[in-house]
Amino acid sequence: MLTVVKNQIKVSFYSFKYSLMREMINKTTFLSNIIFMILNDATLIIQWLVLFSLVDEVGGYGMREVLIMWGLTANIYGISRLFFKSAYNLSNTINTGKLDAYLVQPKNVLISYITSSVSVSAIGDIIFGYIMLFLFGFSFSNLLIFSLLSIVGATIDVSISIIYGSLAFWLSRSDRVASTANDMIIYFSNHPEGIFSNFIKVILYSIIPVGIMIYMPVRIITQGKTLLIIFSLISAVLFCWLAYKIFQRGLRRYSSSSLMISRI
Amino acid sequence: MRKYYYIFKANIMSNLQYIFNIMISFINYFILIFIYLNVWQYIYSDPSKLIYHYSVQQMVWYVIITEMLWFATSGRILCQNISNDVRSGNIAYNMNKPYSYIGYVLANHLGEILVSGLLYGTAGLIMGLILLGGIPTLSLAYIPFILIVIIFSVIINTMLITVVGLISFWIEDSSPFYWLYSKLLLVFGVFFPIEFFPKYLQGFLQYSPVYVTIYGPAKLFVDFSYVNLFKIISVQTLYLVIAYLGCQYMYERGVRKLNVNGG
Amino acid sequence: MAKAIKVKNLSKEFKVKIKGKGLKGSLKAIIKPQVKVIKAVQNISFEVEEGEIIAFIGPNGAGKSTTIKMLTGILFPNQGQVSVLGFNPKTERQKLAYQIGTVFGQKEQLWMHLTPYDNFMFFGAIYDLPEKEAESRINELSEVFGLNEFINTPVRNLSLGQRIRCEIVASLIHKPKVLFLDEPTIGLDPVVKENIRVLIKKMNKEFNTTIFLTSHDVGDIEKLCKRVIIIDGGQIVLDDTMENLKYHYLNRKLVEAKMKEKIDINDEPGITVIKDKGYNLKLEVDTNERSIADAIKLLDPDKMIDINISNVPLEEIIREIYQKEGS
Repeated sequence: MLTVVKNQIKVSFYSFKYSLMREMINKTTFLSNIIFMILNDATLIIQWLVLFSLVDEVGGYGMREVLIMWGLTANIYGISRLFFKSAYNLSNTINTGKLDAYLVQPKNVLISYITSSVSVSAIGDIIFGYIMLFLFGFSFSNLLIFSLLSIVGATIDVSISIIYGSLAFWLSRSDRVASTANDMIIYFSNHPEGIFSNFIKVILYSIIPVGIMIYMPVRIITQGKTLLIIFSLISAVLFCWLAYKIFQRGLRRYSSSSLMISRI
Repeated sequence: MRKYYYIFKANIMSNLQYIFNIMISFINYFILIFIYLNVWQYIYSDPSKLIYHYSVQQMVWYVIITEMLWFATSGRILCQNISNDVRSGNIAYNMNKPYSYIGYVLANHLGEILVSGLLYGTAGLIMGLILLGGIPTLSLAYIPFILIVIIFSVIINTMLITVVGLISFWIEDSSPFYWLYSKLLLVFGVFFPIEFFPKYLQGFLQYSPVYVTIYGPAKLFVDFSYVNLFKIISVQTLYLVIAYLGCQYMYERGVRKLNVNGG
Repeated sequence: MAKAIKVKNLSKEFKVKIKGKGLKGSLKAIIKPQVKVIKAVQNISFEVEEGEIIAFIGPNGAGKSTTIKMLTGILFPNQGQVSVLGFNPKTERQKLAYQIGTVFGQKEQLWMHLTPYDNFMFFGAIYDLPEKEAESRINELSEVFGLNEFINTPVRNLSLGQRIRCEIVASLIHKPKVLFLDEPTIGLDPVVKENIRVLIKKMNKEFNTTIFLTSHDVGDIEKLCKRVIIIDGGQIVLDDTMENLKYHYLNRKLVEAKMKEKIDINDEPGITVIKDKGYNLKLEVDTNERSIADAIKLLDPDKMIDINISNVPLEEIIREIYQKEGS
């Protein structure tokens, strides 16, 4: 069992390394993509400058909390897109039959697939995320917690992407559903939970788990509620398991596929 | 003139196929409006308050209109296409055909966004009515003027994007410039009316593309006045002329450069 | 000898949604979807010995790719049994994957910016080969297939022929017992094609790899395979040796010539005049009886402007086989 895991990690590592090398061939493009992403992320601050010129707090967050939230979001976005970019294209891959190539290899289909491409601009997001932490919430323990919660958040984000992407195994027009779900996470994660009603909060702690990924970690970092980390970890494990199961189910259906949608 | 109409019509037809896709994008639109509704309702803890002379309803309507314009007129693909045409040399082929490249681009793009524009417009209006219960200070008499301003704004935006795309004649990758342009519009026009920014910025913004493409139509919708109408249309007319001349000039210089260098 | 592949009563159908034309059709399709059943593979059976090179050919849409997908575990059959190297592809896909190799048409598996050597090491890792073993394997393959000259040049700098050779070799790193080649020479020019054919033959000779080759190019398989299975419309039309196929069906060639002036030409034993219109002539030559050279002599090379010699197309061969079955 352990050798299987070891071998899988080895192959995934090579896959990541080579994908990254391919992106670094043109150094200017590589660097400019990263820098642009950092600038892109930074422009959001203007919106908050305006809002905080009107009021002192929004939904219980001051400027500091907002920027840590934004830094965390960027970090999560960066980690998930850097290592698992392909997961965000799952619907399309299923629909165009490109998953077949992974089925003839002796490795786990899901893991081989999601590690097959990288996003360079995501590096910019990660850098931005840490800049926010250093400027607005730095302490050694915060650094560790921030990194841990970013990884946990990224795990949940990728799992969500796999879950919604796997819908393509059952429905034909589902690629937009998957990207909408991912977009929603990003939209909500720019705004404090305090402005939303309780009904919305229920959604944000379940099917669009921004609450678990972002709001709770912000509370952990800014209010020191470190015990909640356990809750985060458990959620991440649950989402992973769910994603894996749903994908496997879908893959079985894909192979027995007796329903192919096409236009005649 | 008729040939441009046919290009325009052909694009509408092909767009009907994508109605389903557009409807799904509505979800993004709705979510954003919903989020801003929450933000403004929170900030206007007292609903009768006014901030910079705007009520909470006006703020949310403002965002509905600006986001509608933003979604419907998304120009990233247009810019990419123009860039590709320049880089591949295709742009020069149009010289042999009896229409202007700029005219073609305009007619093409406007056809594409007509459908999405109407859909988003309807969706936005319905959403606003449901969430806010009414349109502030809007009487039927104003609507034709607002529509004209919107049409001008869309044309100007298309031409400015074309200018950005044509930069590819001189700088291979024009996407950073497009990014800059669209980011400025987003940050300074979509979320807040110009009045929310510091005074020193307002002077500059009032003559920037933000004023004519985003702020203008939305402002007239939430707070119509003939004075503003006059101001906005004047600046728009200026932009129409300058942008069109800019496009033509860049196109001609660019194609000449292409022919000299062999593409 | 052991059987590498055993297929019995294999069937696979697809249900496809039919949509009418225009907007009305789309609406109808949403309310009451109509489904058409396509029988991609219908009740086929065959066996392949270890070390055989077998051709699996047929026109487009005949069911070739579907069959290969069922042999490799990508698709599950609706009916019938499949056994590859003793494994059931449906339930033991991963175990089987270690023993088989695949090259699907033009799908590039190699990293373009890496050298073939790095690529091969990567594939070695995928198949859990220890590094030492991978290295020795690479050296061996490099010798046999003459890759040493460019094994350290990035793949994107290789010629098409070199690249495809590397693609095929990459699928051999783990010493697969069966290699599935799906349209490996599609879109390639004749020189490269020949190159690949030589490589495949060598592979089979050196390592006793069973080769399952699908193609719709008859020329491809003429040179390589001892046995041919022809599939059409999901059913096996012919399962015979290459020799028989050549003798009975591939012996005929078409000779089309454009002449300077009208010439008088009559049927002769082994040469049939198919078309005689103006200055254009089309002859069918039975190469078992007469040579092409004879046919050309008959046409009179001095009076020729242009000449084109081709095989009888596969569709025509299949039609004939059906006719022969009928009679």
